[in-house]
Amino acid sequence: MEQSSSKLSTVKEASKPESGLGRRWIRWSHKRGMRNSLIFIIFSACVFLKLCLGLASYSGENTPPMYGDYEAQRHWMEITIHLPTNQWYTYDLQYWGLDYPPLTAYVSWICGSVAHYINPEWVALDSSRGIETTTSKFFMRASVIAFDALIYIPALLIFSRTWLGTRSKRTQDLAFLMLMLHPALLLVDFGHFQYNSIMLGFTIMALNFFSTGHDLLGAVSFVLSLGFKQMALYYAPAIGSYLVAKCVLLGPTDGGRLFLRLGLITLATFILLFLPWIPPFSASPVLMLDPISRIFPFARGLFEDKVANFWCASNVVMKWKKWAAQEILVKAAAALTFIGFLPTVIVTGKAAWDLKVWDKFPVVKAVESNGNSEAEESSASLHTPILPLLPYALLNSSMSFFLFSFQVHEKTILLPIMPLMLLFSGATSDSEVYQWGALGSNVAVFSMWPLLKKDGLALPYFALVLLWNRIIGHNPINVIHTAFPFNSLEHLLSAGVYAAIISLHLLETVITPPTRYPDLYPVLNVLVSTPVFVCLWLWSIKCCIQVSWAITGLPVADHQHKKRPSTATASDVSERQFSVVPKSDRRRAVSLGRAQGKRVRRASTHSAAGSASSTAVTSSSSLLRGNIDSINSLAEASSP
Amino acid sequence: MPDSSSTSRTSWLDPSACDVLVFSTVIKVLLFPAYRSTDFEVHRNWLAITHSLPISKWYYDTTSEWTLDYPPFFAYFEKILSIPASFVDPKIVDLESLNYDSWSVILFQRTTVIITELVLGAALLKFVRSAVDSPTQRIISASLFLHPGFLIIDHIHFQYNGFMFGILLWSILMARNGNKLASGILFAVLLNFKHIYMYLAVNQNFLALANAVIAVFIVSLAPFALMGQIQQLLSRLFPFTRGLNHAYWAPNAWALVTAADRVLLRYAKSTGKELHINMAGVASTSRGLVGDTVFAVLPNVKPLHTFTITIALQSIVLIKLWFHPTYKSFLTALTLCGYSSYLFGWHVHEKAVLLILVPLSLLAAERHAYFRTFVIATVAGVFSLFPLLFTPAESVIEVIYSIVWFALLYIPLSKRVYEFPKSMPYVILDLLEKMYLGGFVFLQIFVASFPVFASWNSSKSDSGDSKNGDLSAMEFLPLMITSVYCAIGMVWGFMRLLFIYLHEDTTYQGQLSTI
Repeated sequence: MEQSSSKLSTVKEASKPESGLGRRWIRWSHKRGMRNSLIFIIFSACVFLKLCLGLASYSGENTPPMYGDYEAQRHWMEITIHLPTNQWYTYDLQYWGLDYPPLTAYVSWICGSVAHYINPEWVALDSSRGIETTTSKFFMRASVIAFDALIYIPALLIFSRTWLGTRSKRTQDLAFLMLMLHPALLLVDFGHFQYNSIMLGFTIMALNFFSTGHDLLGAVSFVLSLGFKQMALYYAPAIGSYLVAKCVLLGPTDGGRLFLRLGLITLATFILLFLPWIPPFSASPVLMLDPISRIFPFARGLFEDKVANFWCASNVVMKWKKWAAQEILVKAAAALTFIGFLPTVIVTGKAAWDLKVWDKFPVVKAVESNGNSEAEESSASLHTPILPLLPYALLNSSMSFFLFSFQVHEKTILLPIMPLMLLFSGATSDSEVYQWGALGSNVAVFSMWPLLKKDGLALPYFALVLLWNRIIGHNPINVIHTAFPFNSLEHLLSAGVYAAIISLHLLETVITPPTRYPDLYPVLNVLVSTPVFVCLWLWSIKCCIQVSWAITGLPVADHQHKKRPSTATASDVSERQFSVVPKSDRRRAVSLGRAQGKRVRRASTHSAAGSASSTAVTSSSSLLRGNIDSINSLAEASSP
Repeated sequence: MPDSSSTSRTSWLDPSACDVLVFSTVIKVLLFPAYRSTDFEVHRNWLAITHSLPISKWYYDTTSEWTLDYPPFFAYFEKILSIPASFVDPKIVDLESLNYDSWSVILFQRTTVIITELVLGAALLKFVRSAVDSPTQRIISASLFLHPGFLIIDHIHFQYNGFMFGILLWSILMARNGNKLASGILFAVLLNFKHIYMYLAVNQNFLALANAVIAVFIVSLAPFALMGQIQQLLSRLFPFTRGLNHAYWAPNAWALVTAADRVLLRYAKSTGKELHINMAGVASTSRGLVGDTVFAVLPNVKPLHTFTITIALQSIVLIKLWFHPTYKSFLTALTLCGYSSYLFGWHVHEKAVLLILVPLSLLAAERHAYFRTFVIATVAGVFSLFPLLFTPAESVIEVIYSIVWFALLYIPLSKRVYEFPKSMPYVILDLLEKMYLGGFVFLQIFVASFPVFASWNSSKSDSGDSKNGDLSAMEFLPLMITSVYCAIGMVWGFMRLLFIYLHEDTTYQGQLSTI
């Protein structure tokens, strides 16, 4: 399977003239005997790039008295190592009071302790405020890179090996490379200065655990992600509904047991994280409120600065703050956000309900009673048919939070972009996912342009965007060139947006904004970016629905199992998916985008015609394993 | 999506070459804010001198301590650069704005390095186009374009070596194509850009036509000759008042000799043996930073000695070249000439190691013997450049970059040229060389952790002053050890290459010589 798929991809690559730097380079290094050392080389090269990026200025460099995010993170190191835990969330709140959950504080404590060990001046209480020596800067930069290397990079590596398990080694390596070098996260974490990669890393780790069936570990990972930054809440609807849906799938007894376990372990992890603020360890239960009120600052405004979401974009026309009171706006934001991610919840729930097999076939029971040595974990480790929904669900829920919720920062676009990039990493360049992914990622970076420019990261911004587009083999100029005749709606949209972005960048260098509208360019930026994000949000809903249709029951042609009827019923598909997956195969049990877009459309027509082309066989066999994108595109092909 | 613009582009720049260009440019742009040595200000000052002073005063100006001490073509080059500079920011070309380091000047000067380096890129691309084994030459070309030496010296430390090595490679290319006149002219041009290329000159003049070379010199020097300034110019170019070793000892033969002198001195001190000890030498011991090196025990070395040794070695090489004037022989001879100048020259900078590594790279894939020489010289040479950067971030960056670069170069090429050692001495030699290369890992660990140990020691012995004295004396220990360890590799590499050149080559004619 592995070999045949790699052979397939070679044939495909050879026939495709337009591929990116990444694919060319990985092909070259595989041919030249670097197959095994490639991960190490990619890893080192990325660390190198991050260090280079770290030479640039960071947020708030040399701007007393408040400085910026860099100083905030450094300040937290200072207060966590010098103060008892009950003062962490109360100490001098006016000067960058801690406003992230406890795991951030613990990470700060670790970094602070190391810093204190090396040079106490870097983190001396109060007196170190605004310290900007070369060595302390290097230490701070190195701490981000270290945590990134400890959490985010392994998570990506495992992702490329599990979710893309059925794909060739080259595709896995390429996915790893382009996920590592995504400019948005690089610029924010290693340029602007934050530790987002820890939060994202834990969430990706959770996805990896889900794909291998270790739901409890996945839940713990996700709670850690939440415990690092409350922003991970953007993913919560998707992950919550996935886990609940899985419980529904498993039936009242197994599902109930899983549900209980999940609940307990989630609670336990939260308690562990907040332990220092819970009564036996803290003086009074009221202290519990300190971190909570700091983490959720409802007292702040609807949005800050200029952010490419619904509120800020529509604010250009209707001045929300004049129209409505703060409380009403909060409620409106909450309601809109809820409506925004509702499709995820409904689709996931419905898919699970349609697929529930416990009342028809006691398959799971049968597996357990087989005396299988893995029976113990089988109920948890069985591959779930609704897993392919998860990335789209994540995109949908995080994008709706980004667009509609309260107090969104421009940097928060990192959250919706993460699942989009995961989907993108397995896509081929002629697929719909690829087009949306490339556009979304470029617009996401562009939407942070005003912030990055302010941080003095203009050059790294252009350099990294150029590099990344080169790696994935995407050329915005070409997209504009080939706009007419366009082959799809998203192509036309991409061309228009790229043209707008390029002309905005050019205009900005030539014309200074009139004094009446000092924020002209940021506002234009918002007006260009927001529609793209809204489209991405709508697209994610569309994909959710399509994937759910595909997994719950659409005509499926099957060449490997000729005996079976060509049109499988819902329960039939799910039964097959529930059949025991050998342990060796479980790694590949889920795979992103094995075959996509037009090729799959072609494949599905082939299979309908009864042709035994190898592509069709692979795609249908991967469909058996719940392959996400083949299902997606099958759904696309069969929907009007 | 086939597109007319992309197809027309591929005709002069194929995708993989473009990939290398994009990747290297991105790195270099990211390195803009990196540490800059005083060379940055030196070059800025030259922009100012050439822009605001008449040509007659270029070699006389002393407003800044960084006077113009490169040959005339480089001055003309700076003059050309200063024209756009004056538009970017007039303060760049202002003689009085000493140590001007605003973002505009950084942007401008760093960009000029990247752009002028395209000369190197074009030459390397030409090598690929006309190579027998194009995929391998592609690796070598890419490795040269992305050479850590250029990254460290040009893009962080700040110089224009990429540009000038580009001219050198064009000259080599011309020689390969049999166009000796063009080759000679280009080389003479190069000499007039930076006189350090004299290290290679003996070889080149040998081949090239004297008249052409003289013509170029005349073009270059004419304005100054007319004004009768040659004397002044030469005194600027060749300051023989400097010492045998540069501040940080370049890893050449003299580093080994100096180290031996230090060891002997210690030995003499500890055993109390009666040796003739030069007291000035004792004073200059172990202070890696003193300009003038005076030996305490061994006899002192004079410029004349270094010249004699260098010329002697070069003439051996040239005699061989006389009898086998093939391209490959020429390339090896060129490398060896540069090598002997580097090893035995007077006041050699560690940066000059590129004069060896660049031509040697072109030979790397020739056969295993060359490849191994190349590996040893490259590892030692690149490692010896590390002390150029001492700020924390940059020192990590250079090490990681060099490792990645080396891995991407070593793995494919070693597969390509590997030969099993044939006899017992070769097996032992092979093993020793591998151990030597492995030693660099430990050396790097030692160098990196030394400051930590030093600070621990000093914090422990805060009360005892006696120990602190020892520590300050040890301050340059990592530098000395680096220099000596690299020097061993450099000298061994030289002996290896010389041996290959003089002995083996007559029987073996590799791929390059088929051209």
